[in-house]
Amino acid sequence: MLRTIKPKNARSKRAMDARSPKEVEDARTAIFVKGTHTGETLNAVMRDLMALKRPNAISFNKKNPIHPFDSNTSSISSLEFWAGKNDASLFLVGQTTKKRPNGLTFVRMYDGQVLDMMEVGVDSWTGMDSLKTPKSTPGHKPLMHFASELFDTHPRYIQLKSMLMDFFNGEVVDSICLPGLEHVISVSCAPTPASLNNAPVNMYPNQQPSAPEDVSSLPKIHIRTYTTRLLSSGTRIPRVELTLMGPNLDLSLRRHKAADTELLKQAMKRPKLKKTDIEKGLGKKRKNLEVDEMGDLRGRVHVGKQDLNKLQTRKMKGLKGGELDAEEDDGQKSDDGDDTPRKKKRKQA
Amino acid sequence: MQRNSNQSVTVEKETPLEVDPGYLTVTDLNPVDEESYNENLEAHLQSLARDGVQALYASLFTLPTRPSPDGPLAQLPPPKTQLPRAKPLPKPKPQTKWEAFAAAKGIQHKVRDRREWDEEKQDWVNRWGRNGKNKQIEEQWITEVPLNADADYDPRKVARDARKERVAKNEKKHAQNVTRAAAAANPRDARKTDIEKTLATTRISTASMGKFDKKLDGEKKIRGVKRKFDPTEKSVSDEAKASVALLSRLESDAKKTRREPQAEESVLNTRKAVRFASKGRGGLALGREAAGGRSSRGGRGRGGKR
Repeated sequence: MLRTIKPKNARSKRAMDARSPKEVEDARTAIFVKGTHTGETLNAVMRDLMALKRPNAISFNKKNPIHPFDSNTSSISSLEFWAGKNDASLFLVGQTTKKRPNGLTFVRMYDGQVLDMMEVGVDSWTGMDSLKTPKSTPGHKPLMHFASELFDTHPRYIQLKSMLMDFFNGEVVDSICLPGLEHVISVSCAPTPASLNNAPVNMYPNQQPSAPEDVSSLPKIHIRTYTTRLLSSGTRIPRVELTLMGPNLDLSLRRHKAADTELLKQAMKRPKLKKTDIEKGLGKKRKNLEVDEMGDLRGRVHVGKQDLNKLQTRKMKGLKGGELDAEEDDGQKSDDGDDTPRKKKRKQA
Repeated sequence: MQRNSNQSVTVEKETPLEVDPGYLTVTDLNPVDEESYNENLEAHLQSLARDGVQALYASLFTLPTRPSPDGPLAQLPPPKTQLPRAKPLPKPKPQTKWEAFAAAKGIQHKVRDRREWDEEKQDWVNRWGRNGKNKQIEEQWITEVPLNADADYDPRKVARDARKERVAKNEKKHAQNVTRAAAAANPRDARKTDIEKTLATTRISTASMGKFDKKLDGEKKIRGVKRKFDPTEKSVSDEAKASVALLSRLESDAKKTRREPQAEESVLNTRKAVRFASKGRGGLALGREAAGGRSSRGGRGRGGKR
C-alpha cells in the first residue's frame, strides 16, 4: 500500500502533477536495462533502439540480475520499483545466455504493475552507423508500417504490433507537421507457414500459460527503418521513396506473457466523450443535427420529394379547357405507360 | 515491375491497407509473397514498406490542415487502434459546495479578470495582491468618515477587518470542502450509511410497520427526521425579510413555482373548436365575422348575409 504523499512546496507539487494520471497521456518512457550478460550485438541493438526512442528513453548503465520470465526471482518487483522511480511504463531488457542468445524482452506496465511481456531473439542485425545514409532527427515521430496478415489473426503477432506501436508511437497527438515526418519503422514477417494457417487459433491464451508453445514454427520478423523522401507527383499527394536508415533487425519470437484480462480491461478504459466532441460527430453518429452560431441545436427533417403533378394550382378558366392539349400530349407520347395519375383521370372523364 | 510500383502514387492491393492516421500507422494484411521474399529479401521489404507508406501519406495529405508558424499542421483524427493506457483514468475531482449549487442552478462559470479598471488613475490595476484595488481604502491617504462616527472610528481598520474577514471566511469554506470531499471519498462511511438506511427500511416493512417485531438486544429506536419549526415570535425585520424572500421567489423563478394546469384544456380542445366554429378558416376570420355581426345591427358590414 502506497502512502499518499503531500507535496511540501510548489516545485514538488508541479513534479507530482506531471506524474499524475492524465486523460490524454504523454508518450511512454522506456527504460533500457542490461541483464547479467549482454553481448556486443545486444549492446549495439539497444543503443540503436534507444536512438530511435529518444528523448523518452532512460538507459541503465550497470548490469542487473534480472529475469522477467522467472517468477521465482524478484525481477518483477524490481521492474515495478524502477517504473515508479522513473515514471516509466516500458522496459527493454537485454540478456544473452547460452540457451537464449541475444534476447530482448519488452515489458509494458499499467498503473505500476507489469501488464504483459514479450521476448524476441535477435538473429541478425545491421546498425545505424554501418549504413552511410541520411538519418532522421532525434525526437521526431516515426511512421509505422506492419505487413502480414498475422498482425490481425495471431495473438502473438497482435501483441507484438501493439507493443511496438506503444514503444515507438503510442502518444496521441491531435495535429502534426507533415514535413516533420522523416522516417518509417517497417515491421514485416516471413511468409506464413501452412501449419500456422490451418492451426486452430487459441482463443484463450491465458488459460494455459504454462503450456509450452512451439516457437520455431512462428515466422521471423523483419524490422527495417527507412528515411522517407517526398517527390512531387503532379497531384496533391507526393510520391514517396525510401532509403534504408538502420537499424535493421531480424527477430524471432520467444517466450511471452499475455496481459491479465482483468488488468487489460482496466487499461483499455477510455474517457467519457465530452459533450462538445459528441456534437462534433465523435462517438455515436448524429445525423441531420447541428449547432448553429447562436448555440442552438438545429435539426433537419426529411419530408420526401414533392410530387409536382399532384400540386393543386389555382384553377382558372383559361387553363381548364385543355382537352385538345391533353390529346396532343397523348398523341406525342408512345404507349409506354408512364401516364401521370392526372392524365388518367382525364381519360376516364 | 518493381520500377512501376515505385512510380505510382496510388496503391492497389487485394486487401485494402488499413490506415490509422491517428497513430501514423499502416497495416498491410495481405499475405506475404513467398517468391519475392526468397528472391531478394531487402528489395521485397523495401517495396512492401514503400507501398504502405505511400498509402499512409495519401491519407495524411488529405487531412484538413491548420496554419502555424512552422508550416501547416495536419489535424489528425482520433486513433482507431486501442492501446492500453499507462496509468488509470484520472479520478474526477469532488465538487465544492458552490460548484454543486451552481450546477443545480445552471450558473455558468465566469472567469474574472485579474485586473480592474481604475477610473481615477485611468489605468488597469490589480484586483488583489500588490497595490490591489481591494486595499484601496486602507492605502489611500485620506478617507471620508461618516457624520455620526465615534471619535475613535478608524476607517482603515474597518476596511482591513472586513477584508480579513472575507479571507478567513473563504479559508473556512475551503477547509469544509476538503473535509466534505474526504468524507465522501471514504468508502467505509458510505457503505455504513447505506447499510443503516437499508436496515431502517426493512424494520418498518412488516405488516405492523415493525410494531410487533421481536426486539434484539441493543437494538436502537429508529430515529426519523426531526422537524424544525420557526419560532412563533420573530423579530419584525426577520419576518419582513422572510416574506420578501417568498414574494421574490414567487415572482422570479418561473420554474420553481408550479403552474396550475389549465383545467379547460383537458375538456375542450380550443384549436379544434375554433376550427369547427370558423369552418376551417381560422380564429381571425371568426373574430372578423363576430365583429361584423355585432356591427350589422348598426347597419354596416357583411354580417347581414346571415
